Amino acid sequence: MLILDAERLGEHSPWRVHEVERGAIAKFARALQLDNPIHFSPERAHAAGYRDVVAPPTFVVTLLPWEIPGLTLPEAGVLHGEQEFEWAAPICAKDEIRVSGWIEGVKTRTGQQGQMTLITVASEGINQAGEIAFRARAVLVVTEEVAHAGG
Amino acid sequence: MQVGDVFGPFIIRISREQLVRYAGAADDYNPIHYNDAVAKAFGFPGVIVHGMLNMGLMASRIMEQVEPSARLEQFHVRFRQMVLPDHELMITARVRQIEERIAHLDVQLGEKDTKPAVTGRMRIRLPG
Repeated sequence: MLILDAERLGEHSPWRVHEVERGAIAKFARALQLDNPIHFSPERAHAAGYRDVVAPPTFVVTLLPWEIPGLTLPEAGVLHGEQEFEWAAPICAKDEIRVSGWIEGVKTRTGQQGQMTLITVASEGINQAGEIAFRARAVLVVTEEVAHAGG
Repeated sequence: MQVGDVFGPFIIRISREQLVRYAGAADDYNPIHYNDAVAKAFGFPGVIVHGMLNMGLMASRIMEQVEPSARLEQFHVRFRQMVLPDHELMITARVRQIEERIAHLDVQLGEKDTKPAVTGRMRIRLPG
């Protein structure tokens, strides 16, 4: 079931450190059927001005934070309503990205399926040089039925 | 790139194999993306495409069209309808505004002649 602790809204999770691997970037790029060598060849990535092979933009979905403070989602049935990313410093292999996440906001809306809870979960990734690599924001939609399931 | 320019429609078809590859690459093993029985139990006609795979394909198809040194700075999408594998999909983008080398594009993905399943806005920094 859905458990939301309003008092912990905005509380950042402890940093989770991800080491970005060449193989993980290549695998992600292949899954999107990308063939640009900057995702596969360190030489070609260097020639294009990157430190190492560079991640495709949505690779950041693999850079998850630890558990979001104050939020326990139902095991199944949560809908993904919106997603936003902002990218700053490029994410390259051998980077060490630390990621923290938090609840940015909670809204309720009444629709055809009864009351829905819209939870905005934000996260931020910072690289080894202290530069912001990305910011992410997801709007998760939990219907009344899903919120109380398995509860 | 000029205001009003249209990129696409790019026709794509997402195979079930691609769903499995993406699940592995993104470490997202929600069974609604690979198990028909589970997907049906949630009211879907069968397995559905990961929202984030749709978003990734939209970003990459459009960024392939712009100068290599252009940078995608921001992308916001709304997931409006489910997307099914093995259906013909179209990705289209239109340049809404360009100001001080920052381009704003409206982007969508969906089946032909239906309301788009995913709509979004992209901000791209152009070189120079």
